[in-house]
Amino acid sequence: MLHNKLDMAIEQSCQVLIGKQQQVKLALTCLLANGHLLIEDLPGMGKTTLSHTLAKVLGLEYSRIQFTSDLLPADMLGINIFDNNEQTFRFHPGPIFNQLVLADEINRASPKTQSALLEAMEERQVSLDGKTRPLPSPFFVIGTQNPMHQSGTYPLPESQLDRFLMRIQLGYPDKEAEKSMLKTQLGSVQHEVKAVMDIAQFIELQNEACKVHASDELLNYILRLVTFSRESNQFANPLSPRATKALLSSAKASAFINNRDFLIPEDVQAILPAVAEHRLRSASSDFSAQGSLSKLLLEAIDPIAA
Amino acid sequence: MFTRLKQRSNSQTTAQPSRNIALLLLAAVLVFVSFSLIASVLTWILLLVVCGAIIRGAIYFNYYKHLPSIRTLNLLAILSILGLIYSALSAGLLFGMVNLLILACALKLMKMRSEKDVYQLVISLLFLIGCGFIFNQSIGFSLFYVLLSLTLLLSLACYHAPSINIQKQLKTISTLSVQALPIGLLMFLVLPQLPPLWHTPKAKGAQTGLSEQITPGDIASLSQSSELAFRATFSETPPIARQRYWRAIVMEDFDGKTWRVHPYRQKVREFQLKTKQQFKPKLTGSFFNYEVIAEPTNQPWLFALDIAVPANAQSIRNIMQSGDFLLFNQQPIVSKYQYAVRSYPEALASQSLTANDKRINLTLPQKGNSRTQEWISDLRTKFPNNDDFVKAVLDYFVNQPFVYTLRPDVMLVDPVDRFLFDNQAGFCSHYASALAYALRLGGIPARIVTGYQGGELVENAGQSPYLSIYQYDAHAWVETWRNNTGWQRVDPTALVSPDRIEFGLRQAMQDEGSFLADSPFALARLTNIPWLNNIRLFLADLDYNWSRWVLGFNSEKQRDLFKSILGKLTPERLSILGVGVTLTIALLLSLFFLPHWLQNRLGTTQHLYLRALGAFEKAGTQRETWQGPSAFNQQIDEHYSEKISQPFTQITQLYLRLIYQNKPDAGASVLNTKQCHRMMRHHLALLKAELSKKPT
Repeated sequence: MLHNKLDMAIEQSCQVLIGKQQQVKLALTCLLANGHLLIEDLPGMGKTTLSHTLAKVLGLEYSRIQFTSDLLPADMLGINIFDNNEQTFRFHPGPIFNQLVLADEINRASPKTQSALLEAMEERQVSLDGKTRPLPSPFFVIGTQNPMHQSGTYPLPESQLDRFLMRIQLGYPDKEAEKSMLKTQLGSVQHEVKAVMDIAQFIELQNEACKVHASDELLNYILRLVTFSRESNQFANPLSPRATKALLSSAKASAFINNRDFLIPEDVQAILPAVAEHRLRSASSDFSAQGSLSKLLLEAIDPIAA
Repeated sequence: MFTRLKQRSNSQTTAQPSRNIALLLLAAVLVFVSFSLIASVLTWILLLVVCGAIIRGAIYFNYYKHLPSIRTLNLLAILSILGLIYSALSAGLLFGMVNLLILACALKLMKMRSEKDVYQLVISLLFLIGCGFIFNQSIGFSLFYVLLSLTLLLSLACYHAPSINIQKQLKTISTLSVQALPIGLLMFLVLPQLPPLWHTPKAKGAQTGLSEQITPGDIASLSQSSELAFRATFSETPPIARQRYWRAIVMEDFDGKTWRVHPYRQKVREFQLKTKQQFKPKLTGSFFNYEVIAEPTNQPWLFALDIAVPANAQSIRNIMQSGDFLLFNQQPIVSKYQYAVRSYPEALASQSLTANDKRINLTLPQKGNSRTQEWISDLRTKFPNNDDFVKAVLDYFVNQPFVYTLRPDVMLVDPVDRFLFDNQAGFCSHYASALAYALRLGGIPARIVTGYQGGELVENAGQSPYLSIYQYDAHAWVETWRNNTGWQRVDPTALVSPDRIEFGLRQAMQDEGSFLADSPFALARLTNIPWLNNIRLFLADLDYNWSRWVLGFNSEKQRDLFKSILGKLTPERLSILGVGVTLTIALLLSLFFLPHWLQNRLGTTQHLYLRALGAFEKAGTQRETWQGPSAFNQQIDEHYSEKISQPFTQITQLYLRLIYQNKPDAGASVLNTKQCHRMMRHHLALLKAELSKKPT
């Protein structure tokens, strides 16, 4: 029953993001695995639309922060303002106190602001003026970023890239999809996106996804992948234990979306490019080589060999 | 080429240092091997080796980043080959080949760009280390070469897995070597000990030990050397020191100053070598057997007590007996050489004297040494009887104040006169030369024999006693012919310095302090410090056992070993031994590999699934190594008819279920594991049947 909701969510989202079922599934997988998502692509590819749609469909509180080079941490986290009536400081929460925060063009902000956001992502709480305030639960950040070679960007350091569970690219839609987009979104028929579940149901789905069974053989497969990245000399930045955890949780979420209660190697293979690529290399400066490192990793390991 | 190299080094920054260590190790191995062969390597080739090593070192320490260009190396190679051809033409094949190998390694070291280059260099270096054993076989060198081989393996390991640190590599290498050790040992003992398939070409090396001519004063330099000359192992008690005269060379040609091997004897020996004709001395009296391990001398002479004949088959094949009762090998001794002989100490007296022998042993130079000539003619008129005359000459040595010394004055003109009447101080070669000359003047055939006298006896419990004879035991004495007694050994040194004969040179030179005076740190000189002496004896013992049991392990020893194991050599027993050894080796190997195999043993599920994959592989569809089971299933679905894809889908489903699904769940479901396996087998049979129907 719950599963139907999940399928409905995907279906709804795909009506807005036409021809992007793969990416929508990955994004949903990321949220189900309780991770933050980084979307990297050129402007106008539908990064914002995707996050907006997901928030709506899943019934999450949503806010958007446009990152600019002069954005300060306080603009995002909130500030204490002196209230003349009560003679005290009152906290005005910033846009980050929402369940789904879209950090648009995250790499345009200064490193100071970036790190404030990333701290919030990791700790799921905000410390301001000596007081720690928890962020709402669930709490997701969907960061979008422009490719590094665009002007006026601060590349995210490796340690911060690691906080994002997945990094996905949207890419250009194919001809058919683009045509149907033109027909629907600018034509007479408009799709109104509706929420298909509430927060409680979403959290239940998350819990269910955690229960997907991972056999010893599958764990060994993941470990072989990770070990290979460490022992081979082809990767500047091998996979960390955090990445191992990310691989397993994402694979579980992916299996769950595919309505299976146990993991098979294909689940790992499906999410590995999104989970591992941005960790294997600090930043992608070369767009043509996108996905090549995780492909290298995948093709080196035989999932069947014991 | 270079830009490519640069790119590679950029992309593999982490791997590069470790690989550079591997290459540096290779350079070091090459340097050490070539310097261990320094006696037979051309200087300019050594220079090239050092250059290559310096280039490697510079690259390792980042002083310099460029390898010499291919064009430079090709030019260098062509020039070197020309140079090598020029020098090798005169020096022989082995010399040329070893130099060529070293040269090739040195040039390769300068050009290591690809993996192939590294492997070639490693293999060449292994071969070079093998070549090293042609020249050096002592226990120290063996250890040294083993160490070099290990370093070679280490460099290979470092090159192969650059990300693993060097301590771990060392551990791997030593584990592997220790595992290889018992197998190697077994093979050494059991594999047939074939004689070399080709004759080792003559290595050009300095001749050591005794030489074919002797000028009084020569042996003094030999007696300053504490190097080992040879060792002799006796099956029974060895003869006492006074009787241990080891013959090596007989000299019968005297020019007033220098004794030489007579040209006639040399010609006879060459003739004997050509026709393989043995001289057969008359053998009388008692005899005893012993084995000798001679150090390389680069001369054909062998050492044995009077009169010796080769005693085992191999020795009879290689060793010749000459007319003056000498043993000589058919080739010069270039490496440690073991032979078995049997000596008849009483046989010397019963040999005959041919007219030719007599003429040779009475020939004298006409001029010089006039005082001796006068003295002898006086003496001869006084004692017409031969025996009395000899006695009178010997009495002269006893009665006059002769001194045995290793530091005599130089006697250039009329040396016999000066020695007999002025100096009266000298050592064995002076005494022997003077006596032989005097006897010939008196008409008595006499000649000089050089060799060794004495030796250090080592008796270990449970082991055959053996004698170590060092260079400082070198000695010269006289043999005279008398009609009634035949050839007789006369040693004038024994009359002057009985200590030399009874107790050896060290004892004799105690007062003078000249024993090994030129090498103050020789262990043999420091025998009065007990623990140092113990170390010296221990090292000597080690070296002896090494020579006897490792280097001397030939086909005969092997047969003895088999005999001692099997009792009697019958084909059945030999085949049992062969099977046993093979089994032992297999057992040793499996001891190592078994845990590995057990760990990798596939479960039934895995096995059945792999068989299905194998069936498709035969049919021409191979799974990509990274493809997961359901992805491959999809591929099969797309490419094959339903009859084939259907059973495979079933197999895949069962496989996924058994391998990846939660186990308690699977148990609770309708099918248990065994039923699943049965179904898999069933579908596998279907699949195979369908696949075999379909032409590929």
